[in-house]
Amino acid sequence: MKIRHILLTLTAFLGAALLVAVAVQIRTEILQYQTAQRIAASNAVREPLLLGANALADERSRTVVLLIGPDDEPGRRGDLLEARRRVDAALEQAEREIMSRRSDLRDTDRSLAALSHVTQDLGRLRRQADSDFAVDPGQRGTEIVSRWFKEATRIIDEVQSFRLTLLQQERPQEPALRAEAVLRTYGGILSESIARNQALLTWALSRGGGVPAAELEAVSRNAGRADLTWELVQGQLTAPLSSAVKTAIASANDEYEATLGPLQQTFLAALQGRVRPAIGPDQWYEISGRSLQGVAAMQQALLWSSRVRVDAELDRARWSVLLWTGLLLGGIAAVATSILVVRIRVVRPLEDLNSAMLRLAENDLTAPLPRGSRTDEIGEMSDTLRVFKANALRRQRAQQDKQMLHGRLKDAYRQLRKDLEAAAVIQTTMLPPASVLGDVRYCGLFRPSSLIAGDTYNVVQRSDGGVGFFQVDVAGHGAPAAMVSVASHQILSQAILTKPEGMRLEDLVERINGDWPEDLPYFTMILGEIDPRTRRGSIVQAGHPHPLLIRCGGSVEPIGDGGFPVGMIATAAYEKLEFEFGPGDRLLVYSDGLVEAENAAGEQFSEARLCELVREHSQVSTGQLLDRLDLALRKWRGSEKLDDDLSVLMLERLSERTHAHAHV
Amino acid sequence: MLTSEVRSNVLVIHVGEKRVDASKAPSFKDEMTKCIESGQNQIVLDLSAVEFVDSSGLGAIVSCLKRLGPRGNLAIAGAKGAVSRLFTLTRMDKVFALHDTVEAAVERLSA
Repeated sequence: MKIRHILLTLTAFLGAALLVAVAVQIRTEILQYQTAQRIAASNAVREPLLLGANALADERSRTVVLLIGPDDEPGRRGDLLEARRRVDAALEQAEREIMSRRSDLRDTDRSLAALSHVTQDLGRLRRQADSDFAVDPGQRGTEIVSRWFKEATRIIDEVQSFRLTLLQQERPQEPALRAEAVLRTYGGILSESIARNQALLTWALSRGGGVPAAELEAVSRNAGRADLTWELVQGQLTAPLSSAVKTAIASANDEYEATLGPLQQTFLAALQGRVRPAIGPDQWYEISGRSLQGVAAMQQALLWSSRVRVDAELDRARWSVLLWTGLLLGGIAAVATSILVVRIRVVRPLEDLNSAMLRLAENDLTAPLPRGSRTDEIGEMSDTLRVFKANALRRQRAQQDKQMLHGRLKDAYRQLRKDLEAAAVIQTTMLPPASVLGDVRYCGLFRPSSLIAGDTYNVVQRSDGGVGFFQVDVAGHGAPAAMVSVASHQILSQAILTKPEGMRLEDLVERINGDWPEDLPYFTMILGEIDPRTRRGSIVQAGHPHPLLIRCGGSVEPIGDGGFPVGMIATAAYEKLEFEFGPGDRLLVYSDGLVEAENAAGEQFSEARLCELVREHSQVSTGQLLDRLDLALRKWRGSEKLDDDLSVLMLERLSERTHAHAHV
Repeated sequence: MLTSEVRSNVLVIHVGEKRVDASKAPSFKDEMTKCIESGQNQIVLDLSAVEFVDSSGLGAIVSCLKRLGPRGNLAIAGAKGAVSRLFTLTRMDKVFALHDTVEAAVERLSA
């Protein structure tokens, strides 16, 4: 895994973790918001239902009053219609809330159906009540009031149970809200208990002593339920309720405990004892109406408090969602920025450096380097790479210069070699091929150690018939020696050809030696001549190896006593050696390259071995003898290469017969 | 290649090479020239360790003699075998004083 992948993956991973955490929080907040919305919707529906139930209880009481008594007060029918309108308004309000909060409520269809059912029942019941009102009060039986009361109570119970179902569906988790919902339920029970007794006792009081036991039982049950409910309400006061709610509860409770509670007990006791109570139905109706108002005020306080709480929760959840969404967006921006920064500041420069390094490593010096003047590690790496590239470029230039120089050297060498080869051809051309001059036959062997040699030889015939010859070995090797050899070749050939009559050979050498420029290399030589008229030859030995005289009979002897090389000591004196050189006699003149040639062990071929070889082959022809010599030397060396130039010149005086034959 | 010592006012130069040939001649000549130019003019060249001298080597030795000129002497000591034969062949035995040993040469030069 590459560094850039690690960096980007880490950044992305951290970013994703952060975003997931924030998203989870947002989801929680949204759920809380939705819960709050559902609770708000449920409250919004339950509130008119509660008010509707209260209003319905009020309508029930008013209708009971109208049904039992003579309609002597003109405003009572108007009040009833007013009470009915409040009930209708509350139920319509509940229906509107269900319709408008359809999305936040469950089973809205069933709720609407239940509500519609309640409305229909109520309508039917009202029509029945209205027809009962038309009957003369004296003709109305107790069963009319009883039926009305039972039916109206059943509808109120339906509304209340519908309300409780809604509460059951959305039970708030928050303690205060939960307590308020419970208290509202208790309030509903209280209100219903008081309202029932309002109606029942009003009816009982208006009838005097003849109240059936079942009715009294019902009144007693309602009273007991109210007392128990008040205890339950007291039990809820430990919950964190608002002071307004607490005050409303206390006020309603005080009202009940101070007047209605005891009064109810008193009435109940009196009715059971068939004693007519001290106050009439109208007063009772009014007192219980006040208590109902107190409970209604408590309900209003609870509703208000719950609405405030739910609204606060909605606000809080909405703000939380907004806040966390903002954080999420900020987080996304931060992660994107981090990835972008990592990419621009680290990953891309690393990639650029990496690719530049790879190209440089492959000797691609045209690789562009990352620009910029950063002072961090990447900047340092970049600077280092720049130095590296500069060095590589310098090395490349040096290499190119070297190659160019090498090319020039190669050209120069080629030219030089061409020149040397041409010079070698010229040098070889100057050497006389095997031939016969007068009665002297000669033959040469010439093997330079490199292209050109410091050795040379020549055989010339003077106009008087004398045959002159020389072999030269210039000190040193290579071009200087070769050029001097060419010069000496020319000088010696001319000297022999132009030697004045009667001039001695040793004087000639002395003159050449005396004239020889001091700056030039010296040379050794054998300069000789063969007299055409006598059977004699003569040589001057100037530092050159002793020539071998091979007699016609096969004897071999080195001749000469040595002598100064030419060009070494300007005042040197030379001697001439004369020897008999009859027909069939041969003279072998050689340069020191022959006897000083070393074998692999560093041993020289030597004069002794040469003499032995020549003796062994003294009877073969001159050409063959030279071949044998060449072969023996190659064998001795073990290679074709020579360390020193090698030249051999053989001269042979022909017998009269051979001479004539040679000319044929 | 060369080591030198002074014995009885005579500079003795020992040649440490077995061969004094074309490849060694230039440096031999340079080192000899330095010895000569240091002011010594009585010199013994000890060739007892040398087995072979070629024409370039001989030229270098002779050039030293020429450089020394008439005011000095260059004697050869310990020349033997091929070296000795070369001196004889080229008549250098007539130009240089040849001695069998360094001692003999020093004795002669210091006399």
